[in-house]
Amino acid sequence: MDPSYYIVLSAALFTIGAVGVLIRRNAIVVFMCIELMLNAANLALITFSRMNGSLDGQIMAFFVMVVAAAEVVIGLAIIMSIFRTRRSASVDDANLLKY
Amino acid sequence: MTFKLPAIDYLALAPMLVLFGAACAGVLVDALVPREWRYHVQVPLSLVALLASGGFVVALANRKEHVVTAGSAVVIDGPGLFLQGSIVVLGIVALFLVAERRLEPGGAFVAQAAVVAGSEADRKQMRKPGVTEVYPMMLFALAGMMLFCSANDLLTMFVALEVFSLPLYLLCALARRRRLLSQEAAVKYFLLGAFASAFFLYGVAMIYGYAGKVDFRGINEAVLGSSNSKTLLLIGLAMLAIGLLFKVAAVPFHVWTPDVYQGAPTPITAFMAACTKVAAFGGLLRVLYVAFERSSWDFRPTLGVIAAATMIVGAVLAVTQTDIKRLLAYSSVANAGYLLTGTLSMNRDGLKYTMFYLVAYGFTVLAAFAIVMLVRDSDGEATHLARWAGLGRRSPVFASLFTFLMLAFAGIPLTSGFTAKFGVFAAAVGGNMTWLVIIGVLSSMILAFPYLRVVVLMWLSVPGDDTPTVSVPGAFTAAALFVGVAMTLVLGVAPNQALELVNDAGAFLR
Amino acid sequence: MTVTDILLLALGAVAAGSALRVVTTTHIVRAGLWLVVALGAMAACYLVLTAELVAWVQVLIYVGAVVVLLLFATMLTRAPIGPSPELDRARFPAALIGLGSGGGLAALFIFGYRWGKAELAAPGTAGVLGKEIFSGWVLPFEVLSILLLAALVGAIVVSRGERS
Repeated sequence: MDPSYYIVLSAALFTIGAVGVLIRRNAIVVFMCIELMLNAANLALITFSRMNGSLDGQIMAFFVMVVAAAEVVIGLAIIMSIFRTRRSASVDDANLLKY
Repeated sequence: MTFKLPAIDYLALAPMLVLFGAACAGVLVDALVPREWRYHVQVPLSLVALLASGGFVVALANRKEHVVTAGSAVVIDGPGLFLQGSIVVLGIVALFLVAERRLEPGGAFVAQAAVVAGSEADRKQMRKPGVTEVYPMMLFALAGMMLFCSANDLLTMFVALEVFSLPLYLLCALARRRRLLSQEAAVKYFLLGAFASAFFLYGVAMIYGYAGKVDFRGINEAVLGSSNSKTLLLIGLAMLAIGLLFKVAAVPFHVWTPDVYQGAPTPITAFMAACTKVAAFGGLLRVLYVAFERSSWDFRPTLGVIAAATMIVGAVLAVTQTDIKRLLAYSSVANAGYLLTGTLSMNRDGLKYTMFYLVAYGFTVLAAFAIVMLVRDSDGEATHLARWAGLGRRSPVFASLFTFLMLAFAGIPLTSGFTAKFGVFAAAVGGNMTWLVIIGVLSSMILAFPYLRVVVLMWLSVPGDDTPTVSVPGAFTAAALFVGVAMTLVLGVAPNQALELVNDAGAFLR
Repeated sequence: MTVTDILLLALGAVAAGSALRVVTTTHIVRAGLWLVVALGAMAACYLVLTAELVAWVQVLIYVGAVVVLLLFATMLTRAPIGPSPELDRARFPAALIGLGSGGGLAALFIFGYRWGKAELAAPGTAGVLGKEIFSGWVLPFEVLSILLLAALVGAIVVSRGERS
C-alpha cells in the first residue's frame, strides 16, 4: 500500500482534532481532541520513519507518548482543582476573564 | 546485544544538571522536612543551585570551547551560553519575588489549591503559609528553559519545551488571592499551550519527513540538498513557528497572554514575562539561524507580517487597558514584536541586539512587576489603574521608580529600553527590513501613550480614600527591585560591557 | 487491490470515522469511548508499519492509561452522563477552516512528497529501539523521566484539598 495513504490519514486526523479544539467547550473533550492531534503527529512520524528507513521517527513517537502522558496528568489535575473550587468543567463557563 | 553510550561532556551539561538535581532534592525536602522548616530550606537551596549553575555557565564561557555533546542532543556555544546565563540571572531575581513573604502573610501562593472557594476550610487556609513545591517547580522550569536554548535537535527541543511549560501551567494555578481567576488562567494557558505544542510536533514530523533527520545541522544541509518537495519543509516550518510564536506571545497567538498574566500570581507573571521570553526567543533564534537560514527568503515576509501585526496590535490594545497587569501583558506582546524585528534581520547584529533586548527587557519587567506587588490594600494587590491615581503623592519613591521603568519601556534615552530598541531597529535596517522598522517606530509611539498615562495618573491626580498604600518591601522584593532598576539604568547609560558580552558570544555553532 | 489493502482502508476509515465521532458526539463519555476506538485503530496502523513497540506502548499508555484517566476525570467532575447540548460553539466557521486546511494538507502530501519506495527498515522491536535510544537519544530520554517527576509532584500540589 502506498505510504501516502497514511500521511493523508494523519492529516485528516490532525485536522479533525484541531477543529474539535476550536468547536468544543468542555475542557476534557478539548483535551481529547488535543490527544487526537498528537496521535496524528505520531502516525506521520512513524510513516516517515518507515519511508526514510531510519528508526528515529519511531523513537520520537515513543517519546511523544510519554510527554502526552505527563501532559494528561497536569491537565486533569488543573481541571480537577478548578472543578473542586467551583463546580463545572466547561472552558467558557462563568468566565471571569474577558478577551 | 551491545551498545555504546554516546560521549557526554558533563561539564558542558553542568548548568542544567545542577538545576535538575536541586529540583529533585527540593522534591525530597518537601517530602521529608517538617512543614515549618521547608521554606527556610527551599529558598537557600534554590538560590545556591542557581548561583552554582551561573558559576558553571561562566566557567564554560571562559573555556571558550564550543561542543556538541550527549549524542548531538545538546550544543554549547556562545549565544547558547549567553542565553543560559541570562535565564539564570533573571531566574534569581524572579526567585526573590517568589520567595517574598513579608507583603502577605504566607506569601503569594495558596496553601491548598483545591479547597472549595469561600468555605470554612478556605478561610482557615488563608492564614497558612503557601506551598513550598513552587521552588522545585521553578527550578524544573528554569532547567527546561536552559535546555530549550541549547538543544541541537527538534526532539530534545520538544521535550525541553514541555519540561518548562508544564511547571508553568501549574504555577499559574497557585495564586493565594483570586484563586478562581488564577485557576481559570491556568486551564486556558494549559489548553492553548497543549494545542500549540501539538502544532509544534506536527511541524517536527513534517520536517523529519522532508529532511530524514531532526538535528539542526542535518536540516540545514537538507534545505538545499533534499529531493523532496519544498512545500513539505515550509509547512513544517510554519507549524513549528506556530508552536514557538505561541510561547513568545506573537499575534495572532497571543490571546492567552493578558488572561494568564492577569490571573497568575504576580511573581510567576514576572517570571514568565522575563524568563519564558528569553527561552522562547532563544529557541526561535536557533531554529531560524541554524536550521533554516538558507530558506530565510521564504519565511521572512510571512514572519515579518506577523511581527508587524504583533507590534501594532500589542500597542493599540495596551492603550485600552484598565488593569496594570493586563497593560503590562499587552506591552509584553508588543515587545515580542520588536524582538521579532531584531530576529528577522537574520544578520550578526540581529542576533546580538535581540539577545541584548531580551536581557534589558527582562530586568525592566521584573522590576515593574515587583512594584505591582507592592501596591496593595486589604484585598491584596490593587491592579486596577484607577486605583493608582495619586500614588505619586502617597509614595513618591516608588512612583518615581515606576515612572523610570515606564520611561524605559517607552524607550526614552538613558534607559536600557532605548539602547535595546535602537539596536534591534538598526539591525533590521541593516538586514533590509526597513518597512518593519517604520512600523516598529510607529508602534512605539502608540505604546508610549499608555505608559505615560500611568505616569500622569500617578503624579497629577489627587489621592482618594481608596488609593492603596505602597507596602514596605521585604528584603527579597527590595533586592529584586533594586537589581531590576539598577540594570535598567546601567544598560541604558553604560551598555558597552553588556554589548561586548553579546558580541563575544559570537554566532551559533552549526 | 489486495485483501490487505482493503483491510488497511477499513482501518483508516475506522480511525477517521471514530475521530469524527469524538468531535461531534454530545455525550462526553461516548467521546472518550470513541477515542479508544480511534487510538486502537491507529495502533493497528503502527503494527502494519512495523513499529511494533510503539504499537504496544500505544495500547498500554493511551488506551490503558490516558483514556481511563480522562474517563475518571469525567466522572469525578460529575459531567453529565447523557447528552449535553451545551457542548459546542458555532461550528460552521471552524469546520470550514478545518476542511479547507485539511484538504490542502492532504493534497499537498499526495502531490508534494516524492514518495520513495518504502525501504524495509528493521521492525521496531523493543530491543532495536532500546539500543537506538541509549546510543543516541540518552539525554532526552533521561529528561523525560524528570518531566514525569515534575508532572507527578505538580499534579499532587495543585489538586491537594483539605487535610484531615
